[in-house]
Amino acid sequence: MQKKNFHDKYYKLLLLIPAAILLFSVIYLFAFNAQNGSFIYKDISLTGGTSVTIYGQIDSQELISALQNELEDISTKEISDLITGEQKALIIETKSETQDVKNSLENYLGYELEEGVNSNFEFTGSSLSESFYKQLLIAILFAFIFMALVVFLIFRTVVPSAAVILAALTDIIMTLAVVDILGIKMSSAGIVAFLMLIGYSVDTDILLTTRMLKRTSGTLNERIFGAFKTGITMTGTSLLAIIFAFIIVSSFSGVLAQIFTVLIIGLSFDILNTWITNVSILKWYASKK
Amino acid sequence: MKLTFKIYLLIAILILSLISIFGIPPSFSQKGVLISSVEQDSLAFEQGFKQGQVLTSIDGKKISSPDEFYSEIQSKFISDKKIKVIFETKDSEIIYYNNASPKLTILEIPNTQIKMGLDLAGGSRALIKAEGQELGSDQMADLISITSNRFNVYGISDVNIRAVSDLSGSQFMLVEIAGATPKDLKTLISEQGKFEAKIGNQTVFTGGENQGITSVGRSGQQAAIESCQQSEQGYFCNFRFTIYLSEQTAQLHADITNNLTIDPNNPEYLSEKLDLYLDDNLVDSLFIGKSLKGSVATQISISGSGSGETNDEAYESAKDEMNQLQTVLITGSLPYKLEIVKLDTISPLLGHDFIRSILFASIASLLAVSLIIFIRYRNIKSSLALILTSFSEIIIILGIASLIEWNLDLPSIAGIIATIGTGIDQQIIVLDEAKQNRNLSIAQRMKRAFTIILGAYFTALVALLPLLWAGAGLLKGFAITTIIGITVGVLITRPAFVDMIKRIEK
Repeated sequence: MQKKNFHDKYYKLLLLIPAAILLFSVIYLFAFNAQNGSFIYKDISLTGGTSVTIYGQIDSQELISALQNELEDISTKEISDLITGEQKALIIETKSETQDVKNSLENYLGYELEEGVNSNFEFTGSSLSESFYKQLLIAILFAFIFMALVVFLIFRTVVPSAAVILAALTDIIMTLAVVDILGIKMSSAGIVAFLMLIGYSVDTDILLTTRMLKRTSGTLNERIFGAFKTGITMTGTSLLAIIFAFIIVSSFSGVLAQIFTVLIIGLSFDILNTWITNVSILKWYASKK
Repeated sequence: MKLTFKIYLLIAILILSLISIFGIPPSFSQKGVLISSVEQDSLAFEQGFKQGQVLTSIDGKKISSPDEFYSEIQSKFISDKKIKVIFETKDSEIIYYNNASPKLTILEIPNTQIKMGLDLAGGSRALIKAEGQELGSDQMADLISITSNRFNVYGISDVNIRAVSDLSGSQFMLVEIAGATPKDLKTLISEQGKFEAKIGNQTVFTGGENQGITSVGRSGQQAAIESCQQSEQGYFCNFRFTIYLSEQTAQLHADITNNLTIDPNNPEYLSEKLDLYLDDNLVDSLFIGKSLKGSVATQISISGSGSGETNDEAYESAKDEMNQLQTVLITGSLPYKLEIVKLDTISPLLGHDFIRSILFASIASLLAVSLIIFIRYRNIKSSLALILTSFSEIIIILGIASLIEWNLDLPSIAGIIATIGTGIDQQIIVLDEAKQNRNLSIAQRMKRAFTIILGAYFTALVALLPLLWAGAGLLKGFAITTIIGITVGVLITRPAFVDMIKRIEK
């Protein structure tokens, strides 16, 4: 009983925690944007450039130091076997054009790179990647607006619907800030992960709001706690499953690893935003009614 | 336990999905190896090796793996002497006689009918756009026909070329080629190709700006199917279209034809034909009417015919023939330059390992989830029901994907993961609602669970829609698999799960 009393007394104060993190994230993101010209670090799928995967065991440090003057913005990632840990391939990303990259690499390696045979070449033109980036942002914006409309349709009251939407927005903003702090270069697939995040985040908020406002059995706190038990199981299973998948996939696929990273960060914030932000707002709303 | 209609429905759809994934008879029961590509214009190609054939034996020795194939081939072609080797495929026998091994790429027969996307199975993909301008749909259709023609000329058959557009309305041509990357891929897709029309060995006109043909009639009076008749072999239809030549070309045409005689075997026409070449390959030959001999005509009419078993078929075939000819004639004369905005060539080398690691990841994740579910509910029956339902959801998504021949690429796999995640979440809601408010009937409790689930479903659905169009459809796979997955969830697996829980709770 004591815990609930504590909660009844301080739930408004608890709101300060997410509010402070949100404020920090927003300031950080704007400062980041002012410095870098966009809200994320973009990888070559969003800036344009070439990604080459070369099969075999190649030392990435040596390669970088040998070629960093020839190839613009070079970075590498090793692909290794899941069980033995043996290196299988090296991915090289650079903003340079495919033919230049190919020439430099062939010079360095001393053998011919046959596209689609002993190597993969992925080239994205800068005009495409720019429009790609813009469109993904538009897609997320629309996804968000559509989601918000559906939430309003479900609950038909302003404050609870707004709370759900705010929680989802806060998840995205905080996740974005952490992604930038970690220095992760986002790919187009990474941006899609934010769409997944909207879906996962809203699930628990809808559960909470339905249980709190549309049900009458038990006290408000009992209903919150019931919803919390269900919701934390949901988020917990998702988180655990994704962490396991992340560990296995990270040695292999940069794309999936990035999606999972975004989800792990996002779902962690979702616990905060559903069970502190959203709960407190709803409680406040219920006490005013 | 008595099964309800919804559970039966789930089982039925599950069985159909398995059939869709594995085929009948199941593909994993087939013996042999798969020919995944044959080098163009090689002897192997001429002797009848085709991509997609299933090779079962070499000189009577059964072959069941790529390794066996390669070691058998190596042991045969050791010297430079020409030898005869008999290859048996599932439905034919190929007698190969040469001093070098046939240029084939061999893979294991895939265990499933699931189509893997380029990023998993290997292949090439290019996104092309006109430099500095947007193409209308007619222009795009021409560009696609021209490109398809060229791939045909080069003997590359497993190509998928289509127009895609993105949210801002930009038009792209998407070229996808499964298997090995063609050697001249970049030239093939980014240049229009070379068109030449010759009489004998003299060039009359070529494609390209101001290169002879000023325009090709495409519609109305300038291009039409004129008449259809019934003959002994079936029906045939004649087409006729007009092309316009520059005066210089018309003069050249007159000079060349002036030297020709009338063909004694075919007195309506001249002795030489007008040969059409695409990238130096002969693609068509047209008879030249005798009236054209020596005449300076800037307007020439080209005719031909198509045949078929029915009038409609003949009509369609004539239309295709005409289209084909028209596109060949405009090759090289499109008034814009092409720009490769994306070009990916991906080797199939890592695909296998990759799929293995994804399977590993899924199993590990499912186990982790099972563990939490079991700890939380301490009920083996409902935990099992939850895991089995999620598992059947994966199978149904894969079944539908192979049914609609959706290429599973990385975004699609991410989509499946997202679906399973939300699926499990929703099942947890069902389980918890079942346990609470015991004063309500189980049916009422389940109805409550479904209200929440439907809310979650619709928010996820609308959030995915924009992705179907964004980014030239390259991330469409994510949206498609997720939409399939969550819809299957709401319509089939969730109702069945609810019924299972009702039974367990009773």
